[in-house]
Amino acid sequence: MKLGLAAAFLSATLLAGTASAADKRWDGADDLPVNPLACSAGEANAAPAAKPYDGGRPTNAADKAGKPITLVDVPKLIGIGYFNATSKGMQDAAKALGNVTVKTDGPTEAKIDEQIKFIDNYITSGVDGILFAANDPVAIAPVLKKALSKGIHVVGYDANSTPDAREWFVNQAEFNGIAKAMIDSMAKEAGEDKSFAIVTSTFTTPNQARWIAEMWAYAQKCHPKLKWLETVEAQEDNNLSFNQATTLINKHGDKLAGLFGMTSVATPASAEAVTKARLCGKVAVVGLATPNAMKPYVNADCVKSVVLWNPVDLGYAATYVMRAVVDGSLKPGATSVEAGKLGKLTVVNGSEILLGSPFIFTKQNIKDFDF
Amino acid sequence: MTAVTLAGAEADPRRRLKVLASQEALLAIAVIGLAVAVGLYNPRFLAARNLSDVLLGNAYIAVAAVGMSMVIVSGNIDISVGALIGVLATISGTLAVNGAPIVIAWLAALVAGVLVMALQGVIIAYLRIPAIVVTLGMLSILKGGLISVTGGKWITDLPDSFHLADIELSGVLPFPVFLMILVTVLAALWMRYSASGRAIYAVGGNAEAARLCGISQPRTIVMVFALHGLFAGAAALLYATQLRVIQSTVPPNLELTIITASVVGGVSILGGVGTVAGSTLAAVLIAEIASALVFIDVSPYWIRAVQGVLILVTVIADILRRRRMAGA
Repeated sequence: MKLGLAAAFLSATLLAGTASAADKRWDGADDLPVNPLACSAGEANAAPAAKPYDGGRPTNAADKAGKPITLVDVPKLIGIGYFNATSKGMQDAAKALGNVTVKTDGPTEAKIDEQIKFIDNYITSGVDGILFAANDPVAIAPVLKKALSKGIHVVGYDANSTPDAREWFVNQAEFNGIAKAMIDSMAKEAGEDKSFAIVTSTFTTPNQARWIAEMWAYAQKCHPKLKWLETVEAQEDNNLSFNQATTLINKHGDKLAGLFGMTSVATPASAEAVTKARLCGKVAVVGLATPNAMKPYVNADCVKSVVLWNPVDLGYAATYVMRAVVDGSLKPGATSVEAGKLGKLTVVNGSEILLGSPFIFTKQNIKDFDF
Repeated sequence: MTAVTLAGAEADPRRRLKVLASQEALLAIAVIGLAVAVGLYNPRFLAARNLSDVLLGNAYIAVAAVGMSMVIVSGNIDISVGALIGVLATISGTLAVNGAPIVIAWLAALVAGVLVMALQGVIIAYLRIPAIVVTLGMLSILKGGLISVTGGKWITDLPDSFHLADIELSGVLPFPVFLMILVTVLAALWMRYSASGRAIYAVGGNAEAARLCGISQPRTIVMVFALHGLFAGAAALLYATQLRVIQSTVPPNLELTIITASVVGGVSILGGVGTVAGSTLAAVLIAEIASALVFIDVSPYWIRAVQGVLILVTVIADILRRRRMAGA
């Protein structure tokens, strides 16, 4: 009886399998509006509706335009590779600018209450500006507002606060930017008319669903022959991701030319599945991941592109943004800001500075990163 | 089931029928039947490579379910095992990247597993605190402790020799599959034929009768938990050595998958009944279903629902069987 039931259930679910229309969004994408970027760098991107400045303003900040300033950087936590990299970018920028001193200090664990204490202490001891990456966007707001009220400039990076608690936020990557980098890499590595599958966390995880929707839109527009086979869920679970990727490889055989990993868990696990199946070079793995987890596969030539952003550039940009705010060259309503070697960065979403295109880790540069 | 068949039943001609109707036989038929059915829809499913991958990727669940089955047969439950596997994997990986001899890194997971579980066994057996409460507490301690100590930082750069799961015996049989079979066979024989193995059924089936027979209930429970810890350690090693990174977090819902394997394998949640052969077959069936759903293009949304249906069907069948036996 048990078997009969199970069989009936399986066949019922078989019938329920829906036939997908060609223009239907890929599984795991959300239904929100999409804004695919231009196919090649030369074309202009459709600008989203401009949003008025929604950041905060410091009260009676001292005019230090062109004068030496002292900054403190309070990341989520210190002592890990990622924030060591942002901190290095800040030192690079300070050296390039010549009139900025910046010091990184913060909790050793990613705890918001600890982070608030650090910021509060620096407000008391007195600095010209605070750079932060928030452990919690809402909980950090009061202490940042206190800093603004004492005339201290506040700029965020990596992890935002509520907009009115800081002046500007340096945004490392927008969804459509990541989507373009992912799809372009896949088309280049697997081939324009090849088939691929996606390993994601769950179909309803907000960031992943947004990325998949933007990837779908960009592929429709710029790589229409690239064929999506299916999306599978793998939670944020290493071994489940590995099993799901292996199943996709076994199911599709030669037809499968690429796998997208949508999480920093799914990407190394997919690379491991391709390695174990001895299909390196035949199945391209493209995905979001951190360099340390991907080094074995990149160094073994099994994975060519790991998409993320460059945390050194992120710290560098945050420091330049702070200098521009103090100098008065970045004011509410501005549409761009100069950031040294990174060139001109665009203002988006009212009070955010976009770092630029995502960074792609390759065999040549991955050894320079440790996070 | 077979395990509680009385000695006199050996001569019963109906026994052969009973064996066929046992949970183990039903599961074996289901494992083969499902493979054939999915193979007809998509022959790629039956490729040796796929079948071996299904076993390889899920052997750690079967190994952990062997220990879980013993715990449930003894009338207890353990919901801390998923978190413990995460902690043991992290301990082993941390030792390996810090230059400890690989054998020590492997042994540490087994020893720590036995110690943590034996401690829980002592609290449950001697302080008479229900297992669900003790293991719930341990789940929180392990989960919180792991994230506090590691800060969620992944372990990378593991030495190649650490990867136990990559070993292939005689070049064909993957070590995880070998370990799964070995552990199941040894545990099955021990539970069926040794006095200490039989004691688990006695304690879980009728604690008072077991006491009157001179079986120490507390000692049996501590022994069961210690063994369960050993199997959790072995499962953690397979789990940790399959990939090049260790996540340093607790694998989500792993304890539920392991308990599901035991329960679907015919281990009665009321204690006293069940075999590890059943739980291993059930672990294989659950893994096979997860893979089959992808092969037959069923939305992966269904995987958890199918697992849930399997649990309910098995538990209802178990209860009905008990009622029939009580009525007869």
